Amino acid sequence: MTDMIVTPARRFDAGAILLTLLTVIAAGIWFFPVYWGIVTSLRYDDQTVTDFALLPQDPTFKNYIFAIRNSNLPIWYLNSTIVSVGVTFLAVFMGACTGFAISQLNFPGRKALWWMILASFMVPVSALIVNHFIIIADAKLLNTHLGIILPMLITPVTVIVYKQFFDGLPKEFREAAVMDGATEFQLFFRVFIPMNWGVTTALAIITFIGAWNSFLWPFLAAQDELMMTVTVGITAVQDTFGVAYGRVLAGAVLAGLPVATAYLLFQRRVTQAITLSAGIKG
Amino acid sequence: MASVELSGLAKRYGAVEVIRGLNLSVADGSFCALLGPSGCGKSTMLRMIAGLESVSQGQIHIGDRDVTHIEPAKRGVAMVFQNYALYPHLTVAQNITFSMSLAGQSKAKQAEAAARVAKILQLEPLLARRPAELSGGQRQRVAIGRALVRDPEVFLFDEPLSNLDALLRGQMRLELARLHADLGRTMVYVTHDQVEAMTLADKIVVLDKGKISQAGAPLDLYNHPANRFVAGFIGSPSMNFMSGVARSTDHGLQVSLGAAVITLPARGPVADDSAVDLGVRPEDVILTNPGDGVINGRVAVVEALGNTTFVHVDTEFGQVNVESATALHLGAGTQVGLGFAQDKMHVFDANGLALPKI
Repeated sequence: MTDMIVTPARRFDAGAILLTLLTVIAAGIWFFPVYWGIVTSLRYDDQTVTDFALLPQDPTFKNYIFAIRNSNLPIWYLNSTIVSVGVTFLAVFMGACTGFAISQLNFPGRKALWWMILASFMVPVSALIVNHFIIIADAKLLNTHLGIILPMLITPVTVIVYKQFFDGLPKEFREAAVMDGATEFQLFFRVFIPMNWGVTTALAIITFIGAWNSFLWPFLAAQDELMMTVTVGITAVQDTFGVAYGRVLAGAVLAGLPVATAYLLFQRRVTQAITLSAGIKG
Repeated sequence: MASVELSGLAKRYGAVEVIRGLNLSVADGSFCALLGPSGCGKSTMLRMIAGLESVSQGQIHIGDRDVTHIEPAKRGVAMVFQNYALYPHLTVAQNITFSMSLAGQSKAKQAEAAARVAKILQLEPLLARRPAELSGGQRQRVAIGRALVRDPEVFLFDEPLSNLDALLRGQMRLELARLHADLGRTMVYVTHDQVEAMTLADKIVVLDKGKISQAGAPLDLYNHPANRFVAGFIGSPSMNFMSGVARSTDHGLQVSLGAAVITLPARGPVADDSAVDLGVRPEDVILTNPGDGVINGRVAVVEALGNTTFVHVDTEFGQVNVESATALHLGAGTQVGLGFAQDKMHVFDANGLALPKI
C-alpha cells in the first residue's frame, strides 16, 4: 500500500497580497504621527528636535507631570466628562424616544416630523453655529455645562438608527405585550429598549466619543478657562507652555486617552455602531 | 368560559374588503379551526377577535359582552403567535409571567403562577433559561404558557405549529388536544393545514376570499362538502375532479364521462345536459384491469408510504389520484382501469355548488 500525503494546494492571490500590503502601508502612514507624538511626549525638551530615534534614548514622564501640574487639565477632564456623559445620556434617550414615537405611534404630523429629521442632515452643524451661539448667549448659558450640552443634542442619526431597529422588530412582540396589557411606556421601557440593548450600547459609545472629541462648539461656548473641555483646553496649553513640543504633546495624549481606552475596551461595539450609522451618514 | 359570536363582521382596507360580512358562532368550550389558503382572511379574523385589528363593520361578542371596541387586554382572550413572540431578554419564567409583571403583581405570586403553568406544560426544568436556549417545541410551550397564565376565557392560536418540523408538529398537536380536553376552554385556531384542523377541531370554518365557504364538524365537511372549494381543500391528497355532462333519469342522475356513463343516486335540481364536475376522493377510486373500470389511464407515479400507496394516473379527464393498499406492484407506464365507489361520489354544478341527494 502506498502512503499518500495530500497537501492542500496553495494558491497565491497576488491581488489579495498587494491589497494587504497597501493596507499595512496606509495604516503605518496613519499611525506614525500618533506614535511620534507619544514618543516625543516621553522625551526631554532639548531632545525633541535633536533626537530622531524611533525609541526615546532616556524616556521620561516629566512632560506629563508638568502638563498636569501647570494646567487646569483635571478640571478640563471633569468638564469633558460632565459634557460627554450628559450628551450621551440625553442624546441616546431622546433619540430612542423619538425613534419609538415615529416608528410605533400614530399621531398627526408624524411623517412631517420624520422628514424634518431626515432633512436636518442637509444642514451642517457649522452653518448653525452662529444661531446656536446667539440663542445660548441670550439664554445666558454661555460658560455653563448646559450651554455646551444643549446644541450637541442635535443627533438625527440616533433617531434614525432607533427608528430603523424599532421598525424591524416583528410586530408580534408589540402585539403580544399589548394583549398582556402593556401601555406605551411599558412597551418602550420593557420591550423595545431591552430588546435593542446592543444598539443602545453601540450608539452610547460613539456618541460619547463624538462628544469628548468635539471642539468647535465647546470652543465657542466655553470662554472661561475653568469651563473648558479637554479638547479646548489643550489648545490653550500651547500658550501656557510656550514652544515646548513634549509638554504640548503630553497634553494631547492625556486628552485623547479616555477615548482611546473606551475604543479599546468596546472595539466591537464601536465597529457595530459605525456600521449601523454608515449607511445613514453616507 | 365563553362563547364567541361574530355578527356581520367586515374588515376593509380602503376599497379592499378582506372580511365580508361574516356571521359565526363558536360554542362555549369548543375548539374551532379557521381554515383556508393564504390570503383568505383567517388571520385577520382572529386578530379582529383579539382586538389587534379594528372592525370596519359588525360586532364581536365574547360571552355576553360586546367587545367590538374594547382594548385587547380587557377582552378576556389570550393569543399564541406563529413566531412565538417570546422576549429574548427574559427567562422562561419571566416570559410566562410578563402580563402579571406589567400589572404590578408581587414576585411571589408570579413565581407561584410560573410554577403552576410550568407543571401543566412540563416546563419546570426550563424556567431559568432564555428563549434562545430552547428548542422550537419548548418555545411553543412557553408561548402557550404565557397565554395560560392569564387564565383567559378564550384562547386564540395563529398558526402556532407552522414553524415546527413534521415530527414535532404531530407531538404538539397531541399536546394541544390534551390541553383543550383538560382546560375545557374555548379555542379558536387559525391554520392552513387541514390535518391540524381535522384532528384538533370540533368545528371547522373554511374561509375563501373573506367569506365563510362552509362551517361544520370535520367529518361533515369531509363527507358532505357544500362546494367544490371545500371539497378540494379538505382531504389529503385532495379530491379528484372530472368534468362531465349530467341528465336526470328515472334511475337517478346519469353523468357522461366521455364515452362512459355513470348512474348516481338522484340529485338535483339539474337541467338536462348541463355541465357538472364529478368529485371522488382518492380512497374511493378502485384500480382495475384496463377496460374493467369506468375509465382507463396510465400510471404516472407511484408513491409507496408503507401503510398505503398513492398512485397517480393520467387519464383523458386529467390526473386521477388513487389511494390503494395493494398497488405496490404497479410501475410507471402501466395501463390500468379506474372504477369509482359511486355512492361516495360528489357532483358539483357549473357554479361549483354541490348537488344534494334528493
